[in-house]
Amino acid sequence: MLLLTRSPTAWHRLSQLKPPVLPGTLGGQALHLRSWLLSRKGPAETGGQGQPQGPGLRTRLLITALFGAGLSGAWLALRAEKERLQQQKRTEALRQAAVGQGDFHLLDHRGQARCKADFRGQWVLMYFGFTHCPDICPDELEKLVQVVRQLEAEPGLPPVQPVFVTVDPERDDVEAMARYVQDFHPRLLGLTGSTEQVAQASHSYRVYYSAGPKDEDQDYIVDHSIAIYLLNPDGLFTDYYGRSRSAEQISDSVRRHMAAFRSVLS
Amino acid sequence: MAAPSMKQRQVCWGARDEYWKCLDENLEDASQCKKLRSSFESSCPQQWIKYFDKRRDYLKFKEKFEAGQFEPSETTAKS
Repeated sequence: MLLLTRSPTAWHRLSQLKPPVLPGTLGGQALHLRSWLLSRKGPAETGGQGQPQGPGLRTRLLITALFGAGLSGAWLALRAEKERLQQQKRTEALRQAAVGQGDFHLLDHRGQARCKADFRGQWVLMYFGFTHCPDICPDELEKLVQVVRQLEAEPGLPPVQPVFVTVDPERDDVEAMARYVQDFHPRLLGLTGSTEQVAQASHSYRVYYSAGPKDEDQDYIVDHSIAIYLLNPDGLFTDYYGRSRSAEQISDSVRRHMAAFRSVLS
Repeated sequence: MAAPSMKQRQVCWGARDEYWKCLDENLEDASQCKKLRSSFESSCPQQWIKYFDKRRDYLKFKEKFEAGQFEPSETTAKS
């Protein structure tokens, strides 16, 4: 584009034969001139001015062109190097986040210790809630396992691990979690732990929760943030889905993330 | 106290929906729905009943608000 729009100026300059201007022109212009000179006999060689002026115009143009090409080559190489370094830095940061960010130490509903690294290589859909939850948690978990079933039914897609983490460790022990998760999906994994462990896990996913006052049955409702989290096979937090998202919308989003995924680990 | 199972949850939600439907049909006159209310109360944990009562209030308000029928009370309007 630059060559085409600028060329009339170059033609003009050439016809006026003002060699001192030429070394200052861009490489692109000089190249264009050179190709023109090669295809036709230029006015410089017809000796319009009579006096020979050191190296011929052709040589000067060639030098300018080479110099220009060298400069842009160096600039391109520098830019590529800068981009490579930036990419490397980003990958390194992601790698560190993949291992450190959002780690947890909890017990699954079979009583086995689980941490984030155990889920490496798997896509994870994770929801925080509590088993005494009146309506929202069961609805959201139903939606979550519906997504898992939709994706499971498509051949060629990697499996997705559904995970339910309690924010009510006081009541949701291993047995309570086991009873609860079996109603939703055979692979739904319930995670619980000590008050501190649950607090730490929730905190690292920015999940807020607060137990309400107890009634005479010692029953209470736990207020908590509602979101389904998607972790990629590196263990990186990749996306989250609020209440208003349908199972279809979530499945579409997960599919897109699966297609775009490239591991930063290994 | 163990959390309700999926079956118990469904029974509770069913009783809640029957009761709410009755309230809808009787313009929120709870005296017309006493039988359904007691069935609702016997099917759900007490804590859930409190929660669902509040939830219905909220949903009703939201409905009104979204329909543009909500008018702030005198005190709210003045403040």
